[in-house]
Formats: sequence, structure tokens, C-alpha cells
Amino acid sequence: MSGEVDKNQLAAVLQVLKKYNLKGTEELLRKEANFTDDLDQQDSDVSSVLTGYKSDGDPETYEVSYLELKRFVENSLDIYKHELDKAISLMKKFGPEQDIYYQEDLKRLAMSNQFILRMSRDTYSLLKRHLHDKKASVLLNIVQEHLYFDMYEGVARNKTQIDATSGAVGGEAKRQDNKAKVYYGIPKPPDMQILSAPVEDEEEVPDQDNPDKPKKKKSKKDPLLSKKTKSDPNAPPPDRLPIPDLKDNDKIEKLKALREASKRINLGPENLPSCCCYTLLNSNYTVCCAEITEDSSKLKSMKSADQLQDVNIDADDVLVRMMDERSGESSRTLCGHGGPVYSVSFSPERTLLLSSSEDTTIRLWSLQIWTCLVVYKGHMFPVWDVKFSPLGYYFASCSYDRTARLWATDHYQPLRIFAGHFSDVDCIQFHPNSNYVATGSSDRRVCLWDVTTGNHVRLMTGHKQPIQALAFSICGRFLASAGTDCSVLIWDLSHGHLVAELTGHEKTIHCLSFSRCGNVLVSGGLDCSIKLWNFTKLTDDTSSEDVNISHNPEVKTGEDYLLRTFQTKNSPLINLHFTRRNLMIAVAVFDSVPT
Amino acid sequence: MAKINENDLYGTNFSIESMKVIAESIGIGNLQDDAAKELAEDISFRVKHIIQDSAKFMNHSKRIKLLQTDIDSALKVRNIEPQYGFHSKESLPFRFASGGGRELHFIEEKEVDLGELLSNINPKTPLEVTLRSHWLCIDGIQPTIPENPPPISKCIQKLESVDPVNKKPMKETSGKPSTGKQKLKNVETVQIKQLATHELSVEQQLYYKEITEACVGSDEIRRGEALQSLSSDPGLHEMLPRMCTFIIEGVRVNVVQNNLALLIYLMRMVKALLDNQSLYLEKYLHELIPSVTTCIVSKQLCMRPELDNHWALRDFASRLMSQICKNFNTSTNNIQTRITRMFTNALTQCDKIPLSSLYGVLHGLSELGTEVTRIFILPKIRGIGARIETYLEGNLISNSDKIASGHIKQLLVKVISPILKSIRNPPDNLEEYKQEYGYLGVVLHNAVVKARTQPASVTTLPSSNISTSSITSVGQSIARSVSSGIIQQSNTQSRTIVMGQQPQRITTQQNLQQKVILMQQRSQPNSLVHQQHTQSNTPTTVVKLVSSQSAVQAKQIQSQQKLVVVSNQGGFQPQTAGLQTQGTLIKQSYITQQQQIQQVKSIDDLSQLT
Repeated sequence: MSGEVDKNQLAAVLQVLKKYNLKGTEELLRKEANFTDDLDQQDSDVSSVLTGYKSDGDPETYEVSYLELKRFVENSLDIYKHELDKAISLMKKFGPEQDIYYQEDLKRLAMSNQFILRMSRDTYSLLKRHLHDKKASVLLNIVQEHLYFDMYEGVARNKTQIDATSGAVGGEAKRQDNKAKVYYGIPKPPDMQILSAPVEDEEEVPDQDNPDKPKKKKSKKDPLLSKKTKSDPNAPPPDRLPIPDLKDNDKIEKLKALREASKRINLGPENLPSCCCYTLLNSNYTVCCAEITEDSSKLKSMKSADQLQDVNIDADDVLVRMMDERSGESSRTLCGHGGPVYSVSFSPERTLLLSSSEDTTIRLWSLQIWTCLVVYKGHMFPVWDVKFSPLGYYFASCSYDRTARLWATDHYQPLRIFAGHFSDVDCIQFHPNSNYVATGSSDRRVCLWDVTTGNHVRLMTGHKQPIQALAFSICGRFLASAGTDCSVLIWDLSHGHLVAELTGHEKTIHCLSFSRCGNVLVSGGLDCSIKLWNFTKLTDDTSSEDVNISHNPEVKTGEDYLLRTFQTKNSPLINLHFTRRNLMIAVAVFDSVPT
Repeated sequence: MAKINENDLYGTNFSIESMKVIAESIGIGNLQDDAAKELAEDISFRVKHIIQDSAKFMNHSKRIKLLQTDIDSALKVRNIEPQYGFHSKESLPFRFASGGGRELHFIEEKEVDLGELLSNINPKTPLEVTLRSHWLCIDGIQPTIPENPPPISKCIQKLESVDPVNKKPMKETSGKPSTGKQKLKNVETVQIKQLATHELSVEQQLYYKEITEACVGSDEIRRGEALQSLSSDPGLHEMLPRMCTFIIEGVRVNVVQNNLALLIYLMRMVKALLDNQSLYLEKYLHELIPSVTTCIVSKQLCMRPELDNHWALRDFASRLMSQICKNFNTSTNNIQTRITRMFTNALTQCDKIPLSSLYGVLHGLSELGTEVTRIFILPKIRGIGARIETYLEGNLISNSDKIASGHIKQLLVKVISPILKSIRNPPDNLEEYKQEYGYLGVVLHNAVVKARTQPASVTTLPSSNISTSSITSVGQSIARSVSSGIIQQSNTQSRTIVMGQQPQRITTQQNLQQKVILMQQRSQPNSLVHQQHTQSNTPTTVVKLVSSQSAVQAKQIQSQQKLVVVSNQGGFQPQTAGLQTQGTLIKQSYITQQQQIQQVKSIDDLSQLT
């Protein structure tokens, strides 16, 4: 962030205001507005708000009332500290030791947006009474106009809890934001029962030469299918989201995946994964992203090629390479984009590929005829991320234009526009049941959107820096997010609470992935290291606690959950992936110039 | 209530002065202060805006380095025409200089030779992006293969050696998944210092066996490879205690048996370990230093003192010692001081110690730098001169003593004369010299006079250099060795070649040992560095072939010029070459090198001492 201003931020803001008010010219106010705009903030109504302040007369009162408030906070601290321990939260909000990540926001606070503060009812009444007692009208004005107090019943939170959830542009999330019910469960696979009979017929044909295989399959299939029959109470109704019917091919594929999954190793602290690392050499900073197909099981058996692909940017044309392990033809170049490609995504059936680029378009490519099928134009600014839905057909994208959009492959216009972030939407991720989309933004908030209604159903604050990576847990209940602030935050989607903050990385985290069994979370980033986190332990610890919407769970911190760290040789990680058998695949870019 | 003062905003806003300077540069003579202030604020804001946006593009390209393309994209997003023509493949080092209360940030611009630029018709094409796969870990254990970083970095090794409690309980190193039982044990014994178990895997044991056998075996090529491995392998730290024990025991036994060749091999191992950048040797210095010292000052190192060239071993070990001092000397361990004191103590009783030891002591001290030489050796010259006079001039004395005295004499002339030259003023009076330095006064006088008449070239080195004496020692030792009929000491030029993008970082004549620091890099157009050196007075050639994948050990052959070729794995690129036919040249020299090795080996192992 550019505007590094001094420590006593609030004082500084008031000072600045005072200065400008004294001069009183509209131009200066505009400039002031512009100045804050550099902290990527909307500035439409800024000047009008500022002019409002002019009428408030002597700006000295601001300073006086601020001092007064500070004194009150300090006094109340002394008084109540031993009894109630509540004023600490106030202290935290207004105290001179403002946290660094609020500095920019506080500046903006005086401008336009409502800044949301959460505090317990007792604390709020305490503050209110104080303000009335002192007749601090100016402060009251500010409070009324620009602060939104989100009250809740119960015990005031302690400092660490507040620390953990603060940081986002516009303050903390309102309780109201997270009230809607989220169907975070995974529905049972739709029509496998019906499927089993025809598939077996089809499957038996190629298996003729292998007499003992069908037998094996039968014994295996039954438990596989019956396991899922028990329906998850949190799962959305199957007809909530319309999806095209599965073709026979897809069904075979699904079954194959299930069978493959039965062979996987369950990971845990005693059973750590193996990791195959693909390093891109000679990239010279041109590789922006890499993606691995969901079906990486073939890689393990080495029967067929793994489809790992990296996108290479050149000055004006874009290369998409298919790196093929076995066959002679190792790469394919897909030309079409007019700028760097920031993200690619394979469709679940592996025949389609999406790419999003700086040239504001999203392209759909066929991997069978190797041409571009559709160019989706809709975003007005560079598209940062694109993801196929786990069920196919739908995909979601997010952009510099502060929106995320939902598309279907057969529509050239977006189906939904998710607007509400205050800044760039940097990353997007589909919920495993495809009913929700999570976005992470430069306004340091994570949002969960309902695909069917287009509303946001969860708003989660706690990151101190832009968010760069998101991942849903296999069970669908948890969301992991990470970004420039080098920590991985785990969210419980049932109530939108922050569950854990996993710190340990030293630089930006760019990739997150859950193992197929859901036991291990891996994160990797620019600090050339991969960290394995024990997710089972985390969920066990979480579920043992009694959690409801108003009661925040204790935020857990990293160290206990870190299983292992693997360093690469000067190669920042750009993708992590688990195969169906839980082999970890990492993609890294070798950085030839040590920094 | 703090006000925003100028200091807080330093570097975040353009100053009014810079606005005025820029205005002047485009022809606006007198810009008003108010206008400049307005401009400064506006421009600062716009620049910040662009930087913030380009940082977003950088983040999404998953880089830490901001490139020109990011700024272009940011401009594009704002609907501003990008700045064309600022694409440079190389990174421009941003320099900072301060002085006189002013601070200055600037970009260092290199001079471009237009002739060379024109002659390069075909610029190098960038290398294709390739994919390489390897196992980062297998069942949670990171295999020690070249693709993976060394298991324990140097700083962690250091941390462990400083405070063993920091050592993580077997988690990272052994890689074995800890079972519940083990964990329990750890909890129970948490207060007790853990027993350091140095378990070596089977592979490591095999490696140890192979390396030690090769290092002391008879096959010179294998030895080269083994030493190469020791000096470059990153994962040796677990075997380091064993290696050190091997060296120490080896020296202990072979000194007694006067086995010169083996002592040389062991010292070369020490050198290889010292050269290994990834090892933290400090823990083992207390064992290594006595061994090295033994090889410097031992009374007898070989079976036939009058024939064998144990002097070279002493020289080599002295240089090792100075390298140790340089690398590991800190204000707490005071290695240099302690070693200097040790040698000086020996020197105080120079009448009693054997001549060979005296030579070692003198050489060891001289390697520690000119200051040391001036303070500790110079006052002793008379006494030493008197002693060697009796051996050199008298007839009764055994041959070995005479040779030893000769060596001491030459050594002293070599190291003392540059100092005398610098501390004494020109009219060199022979009588004064005689009076002050006794027997050696005459030769010293001659040497100084000679040095003064010669143009300042090789022999004059900045006195601040620690190992000033090295270069002069080359010529001397070669002259000496030729006269004694044994080929040895093909060279010891002191050069450090730092390969990198910034050729200005090449520092020459810094220390005694050939040190090539390689930075792995690809497709840097100027990554090929050529150094061509012709030296009139030292007829030696060094051909160094170092590839970035596996640094081939430096080898030497004898011929007319000195040529250092450093190549990256991309092969030799013609356009940076000062030589047009380098490919063949290298090939030839490689062949000669091979032949030379054969010859050398048949004669003496000393030629490998560098």
C-alpha cells in the first residue's frame, strides 16, 4: 500500500481534515478524495460527504472529542478491566495503537462508507452513555453517520478474537450477513444406482481378456455405492441447481473415478503423501498458471499422459502447452488471447478448457480439435480467475472490475453477476456441490455466493491482505483461504466463523489443495515451500466445541497442525494437486535469478 | 497528537523541488511553489495508483518481481498508452548512494560496446520452456537428490551447532514418520539433552566408503571426482563428523609414517570440504585446525626430506589455514589471533625448532597477510638469517638442512621484500640493509632494488590484501621447483571469479584459492564470462571448465597463457567470446589436460595442489 502514514492514524485523519477544512476549497477536497482513492476505494460520493463536514464549524472540536474519547476508553479500561473486561474491545477499536491494516480504512472512515463494528450490547450501551454524558456532539455525529454497530447478545470478545476477524475493508462482517442457511453438504451422487446395471454391461466388453477383473469389480462396487446412500442433512436438494443429464461416457468416467478412489491411501500424520514435483525451466517469469486435470489417476499408472499444462505469455500471443509425459507430442499451443493468461481450468470430462486473460475475455477451447470454441466477453477488465464447476456445464470467473460472474458454457452472456466486493475479485472457487461459489478479493474479504439466487450468503473477514487462493474441504463444510498475508484461514461455512489461522509461510500463498481423503491440507507459495497441515485434527478440535451463530469459537493457530514442510530448490509453487489416489503433484517454476 | 511532518512523508510524495527540476527540464523556467505543490501531490497520487495496479498484475502472475509488462498492463487498464521501448531482459540493479546528507537512487548503466553489438548478427534465442519432473518427497521423506534443496540449510546447521537444543527431534532429518510411542518418549525426556545419534543410511555409508577410498586411492581421476563431490554436494552435513574423523585419524597416522602422498590427499579433502558452500564446518574446526597445523609445521613429513617435496604440502596447508581464518574468524572465536599466536610462539624459539618446522611457521604466518608478516616476521629476520647462514655457508652440514635453509631464504625474500619496499624509502643502502637484517640483508636489498626498477605489475599488490604474498610466491616457487628438477606447483593464482549478471562484481586477487561461485542461470545473454590472462613472468596456464550443472573440478595444465572458461549448461555461446575458435581450443586444451594429468600423476601428486 502506498500511503504510509504515521502511527496515530485517527489523529492524522482529523488533522488532515482540519487542514483541508480550513482551506475550504472544493478542489482540495477533491484531491483528498483522490488521495484515498489510491487505496482502491469508491469515491463517488466522497466530495459531498466532505462538504458536509465544513458546516460542522471549528475543526478543533474533532481533536478535542477524539482526545476525550481516548481518555474515556483509558479510564473505562481502568474501571472495568477487573470486573467486566469489556472495554478492551473499545480500546481496541479507538485506541491509539491502531493496527496497521486499519490505517487506510480509518482514513476512509471519515469519507463515505459505513464502517461496521461488532460489539456486545453491554459495551455498546457503555459507549453510548458516555457519549451522551459528555455531549460530544461531533463524535456522536461521526458515530451515527459512519459507523454501524452490529450488536449481539453475550460476552464481549477478547482481543485475539477481534484481531482475527478484523482487517477487511469496511470493517467486520455483519451478523446479518451470515444468517442465511448454507447447504454445505455434499449430495449423494445422483443416479449411480440406475447406472450400475448398464455400465456393467459396457464395462465387461473390454474386460473380457482379464477374467478375474469383473469379479473383483462386483465385490467392490457394492460397498462403494451403498456408502453414499445415506443422505447428508446439510446437502442441497438435488434439483436445486439444474444440470444437464449425464451422458453414458460421463457415467463410466464417474464410476471409474469411484473405483480409483477406493484404491487411494488415506493420509494422516503417520501416512504422509508422496509428492511429484514438476518444475518448469527457462520460464523467465512468463508462466502465470498451471493446471492439472482432475483425472490425474492416469498419471500414476503411467498408462496415458497426464495433462499438465502451463500457459506461457508472450508479448502478443499466448501459448497454451499441453505437457504430455509419454507420447512424443509434448505440447500444444493454443493461440488466441491478446494478453497474459492468468488462469485456466479443465472441464471435469477433460474435453474442454477455459482460459481467462488480461485481454478481458474468457475463451473456451476444445481439447479434441484443439481450437477455440467460444469467446466470452462480458468482463470489462482483466479476468483474474476462472473455474469450471465440479459438475461441468457452469463456470465462474472473477475480474478486476470487482465482480464475479457465473456462466454456462452454452450461453455467451453471464447467468449471474456477483457484485459487492469493494475491490478486485482475485480468486474464485466452486463448492463441491456446485451450489455455491466462493470469492476472495483485494478488499480482504471472502464471500460465499448462492449460485441459484445470486445473493451472498456468507461474508467472512479476517484476512489482512488480498486473498489469492481458496479451497473447499472435501466434506464441503470448511473453506480455506490464503493470500498475501502469508496465512491460511479456515472458515466454518455453517456459521461463517473463523476456525483457524495457520501461519508459517513467509511469502504469498498461491495454491491450496485438500487431499482426496480430506485429511491433509497443503499450501504452497512464493517462498518455495509446501506445507502440510493436519486437517483431521483441526476438524476434530472444532466439532468438539459448541458453536452457534453468536458464539465465536476460539481461533486456533498454526503450529499444532503443521505436519511437514518441503522446500523446493528456488522454485515458487504455482499449483498443487492431489490425484485420485492421493499422490500429490506440485507444479513449480524455477527462478533462475536468486533474489 | 502527532502531525504529519516532512519526515513521515519522505519517499511517499514527490517533493516540490523535484517538480521544479522536472519543469525546468522541459523548459518551464519559473514554476510557482503552489503550482509545484499541486502538481507534486497529483503526480504522487497517480504514480501510486499505477504502482498499486501493476502490483496486482505482478501478484496474479505469481511473481515477486515487478516487470515492465505489469506497468504496461496497469497503464492499459487505465486507458493510458503504455510506455514502449522499456523492455529489458536483464534486471537493472537499482543502486543507492548517500553522502553529504543527500541520498540518491540511481540505475547503474553499463557501457555497451557498439562494435561487439554489431558483430553479433544472431542474438541468442531464448530457451524453450521445458518441464522436468522429480520426486519432491516420498511418503513424507524428501529424498536427497540434486533437484531438491539440501536437507538442512547452512543457517540451521549453524543454529544447531550453537545451541543443540534447537535441533528438532529427529523429525526432519530421519524422515521416519514418528509413531505415537516415540512421541511419548520425547515428551518424557524433554528436559534431557537428546543423544545425538548420527545414523547414516546405507546409501550414505556406501557413499562414505566410496569417497574415502577414492580420495586416498591411486586413481587420480576418481579422486578428482570424489573431491568434486565433496566440494559441491549439498547433502553432506550428516556425514561431516565421519569425514572429519577420517581426515584427523589419517593425518595422525600418516605423519608418523611420513607418508607424504596420503597427507596431501587428506589436505585436499580438507580443501574440498572448505569449498563446500552448504556445509557449516565451524563445529569441526577444533579438530581440523590441529591436523592442518601438523601438516604445516611437522618436523618430518616424508621419508626422504632431501628429495621429496614436502615444502609444497606445507605451502598448501598454510593456504588452507589462511582460508580457514578468513572464513571462520569471528570476534568470539578469534581463530586468526590464536593461530597467529601459535605460530609466533614457535618463532620465538626459532633457534631450537627444526628448519623444516621453521619454514612451515614462516609460511603459515606469511599467508596470514602482510600485516602479520611485517609485525611478526620482520623483527626476527636477523636471528633467522644468522641461523640459516651457518647451514648455507658452512660445509659440514647435511644436505637436507642446506635445502631447508635455501627454502627459508627464498621464502623470506619473497615475503619480506614487498614489505620492505613499501615501508622503506627509495635510496636503498646496502649497508643499512646489512646492518638491520644481517645475513639476509644482501638478498633483500637486491630483491627490493629489483622490485623498484620493475614496473608495478604483479608484485605490487595493495597491502590491505590478506594474502599478498601468494602471487609472488608463484613465480618463486616455480623457479625453484624447475631448478630442482621436479615438476610441481603448476600455479597458484589468486582469483575469485564470481559469475553472475553483473560483471562488475568480479573481484580479482582477493584470496588465495581459486573459487568459482556459480549462480544457476539460464538464458542470460551474458552469462558466459571470459577471462583471458597472459602473464609474462609465470608461464602457466589454467583451464577451468566449470559447468553450472556439475562443477567440474578445476584442473591445471601447463602452457603459455591463462584462460578461464566458465560455461553454463547451455553450452558455449559464440557471441560473447573474445575467441572465435574457442570450441576447438577448449577441446584441445582438454586433451592436453588429460595428458598432463597422466604425466603429472606419474611424477608427483603435488601438482594437484591448488
